[in-house]
Amino acid sequence: MKELERRYVALSQEDRGRYNWLRLLILIFFCLSSSVSLYAEDYEPVAQRQPTARTFLVGIGKTNQLDTYLSPMEYQGLQVSFLTQSERMTHLAKRHISFQSTFHGVFTSADNPAETASYTGARLAYDAGWHYHYSPLKNLDLKGGALIGTDLGFLYNSRNGNNPAQGHFSVGLSLSAGAAYAFRLWKLPMKASYQADLPMLGMMFCPEFGESYYEISQRGVGHDILCAHPGNALSFRQLLAVDFCLKRITLRAGYLCDIRQMNAHSLKYHDYSHSFMFGVVRHFQMMKRK
Amino acid sequence: MKRLLLSLLASCALLFSCQKSDFAYDDTPQGNLDALWQLIDQRYCFLTYKEKELGFKWQEMHAKYSGKLNEKMSRVQLFEVLCEMVSELKDGHVNISTSLDLGRNWSWKEDYPENLDRELRDKYLGTDYHIGSGLKYTVLPDNIAYVVYESFADGIGDGNLSDMLTYLSVCNGMILDIRGNGGGELTNAEKLARRFTNEKVLVGYMCHKTGKGHDDFSSPVAEYVEPSKYIRWQKPVVVLVNRSCFSAANIFVRNMKEMPLVTVMGDQTGGGSGLPFSSELPIGWSVRFSASPSFDARMQQIEFGIQPDLYVSLDEGLAAEGKDSMIEAAREGLRSER
Repeated sequence: MKELERRYVALSQEDRGRYNWLRLLILIFFCLSSSVSLYAEDYEPVAQRQPTARTFLVGIGKTNQLDTYLSPMEYQGLQVSFLTQSERMTHLAKRHISFQSTFHGVFTSADNPAETASYTGARLAYDAGWHYHYSPLKNLDLKGGALIGTDLGFLYNSRNGNNPAQGHFSVGLSLSAGAAYAFRLWKLPMKASYQADLPMLGMMFCPEFGESYYEISQRGVGHDILCAHPGNALSFRQLLAVDFCLKRITLRAGYLCDIRQMNAHSLKYHDYSHSFMFGVVRHFQMMKRK
Repeated sequence: MKRLLLSLLASCALLFSCQKSDFAYDDTPQGNLDALWQLIDQRYCFLTYKEKELGFKWQEMHAKYSGKLNEKMSRVQLFEVLCEMVSELKDGHVNISTSLDLGRNWSWKEDYPENLDRELRDKYLGTDYHIGSGLKYTVLPDNIAYVVYESFADGIGDGNLSDMLTYLSVCNGMILDIRGNGGGELTNAEKLARRFTNEKVLVGYMCHKTGKGHDDFSSPVAEYVEPSKYIRWQKPVVVLVNRSCFSAANIFVRNMKEMPLVTVMGDQTGGGSGLPFSSELPIGWSVRFSASPSFDARMQQIEFGIQPDLYVSLDEGLAAEGKDSMIEAAREGLRSER
């Protein structure tokens, strides 16, 4: 395996630091990502030196949940999440187009204001698409594109009887834009990156105002599938992150803001979460076998 | 660059974190009453029907019960006022659930004779009766099957039903005693009813609220009971009912009334034809309310109960002699149908 990686990957031999105390932390993330982080000496436009980047982040943050099918009250609590992302440069448009795929999973636990009931929920989102990259400055990479994605989840209320849970499902097309800026701080190479995804058009599941799941099981879900657009499902996800290199590991710390909303059939749903994310980034490029 | 990014983040957060609940009430006595009143006003499915049948105006209830509030009242006092307000609906599916108490209006059964003596019923079952999950059954001396199903919350499987019907197949008829059955799972009621028909039978209609207006309902959807693919009962049946048959038991009686060879005997059922939903108040108390109404096969309301085919009540004199007049009437009816 090591031999394969040696052949496929260009290792950086520099930036071997003096931070022995970080070895344990590095080892944990090394195990999590099951990979060696391979970082170039300096940051340069993705299209030229680092064609593929794989990111694994875990995060924790606050969430505000509203689902009027279950309760008219807003619940607040904790959200634990993970985000894995792969971004690979393609040969399209003279290597200016990248392909990106993202898994984003969240687990939610929240209480009502009186703390007499709680929500437990989970959501898994996957989206994939293409970005066109443009570098107006040497260290600045701008990108814009579109993603196709799906989102599947549930929210369970510990106290409700015939409406104990709500399912969430959507599929659609999102606009996506981002920027990355490479710089040095305290002589360390760093990169600040930002990406925002905005769902524009798709389909989503939403039961009617007083429709029970018993009726849905009898009648099917055909009438509960709606066209989703910013007018009834204005949602948004943005990730602001900073990459920094310690020894041969690239770490990423960031802020993830995930806004999911729905307003249809006289029902309202939202999941506002703000999370601190931390993890590793693995950069490499594929090479042909000789 | 940093300023640009921060500005972008802030503007996005402001732009998108704007959706709020329509339920902006404080945890004060008035806030909780307003919240409960609005919840019933927008989501309760029988308001128009109840206003007509019971002669009240929900709009007037807000002012009437707001007048009973004061800022210094205790939680117990607030609970009493809120329960009093929703008791106007006379609906067993409307409850306020707190750590203090369960707010309820059980007038649908408490205002009428129970027509059930459990000790007497146990005498008919004897001691060697069979138990198939939630079902208790035996064969009476005149070769009549006697089956008791006390709660549709007790699950039954197709295996239980097949074994029971096989065991009772030598009998000349069946008494299905659901007196005191306060409901439970609709699926259990359906599963049992499917054993009493050989054809697909229209049993009623169901709809749900589609908006906040009192009369915003979906088109009623027909409900059918389809015959079970397992063993089915082919002989006369008497279903014994009383005022305590509520919710899923009420729906079961509605379904059985449409079956061939079935006679419903006893008192009017308790009703409860609205499928209940749950919600809550700012104080944290849980509220249950009827959300989706069901109707019979002629699109008539069954919220206040279903009349039996034959009215029979429990005779106290016979009870003193150790006889349940309702069971005896059912036996007599089945013997005469032989």
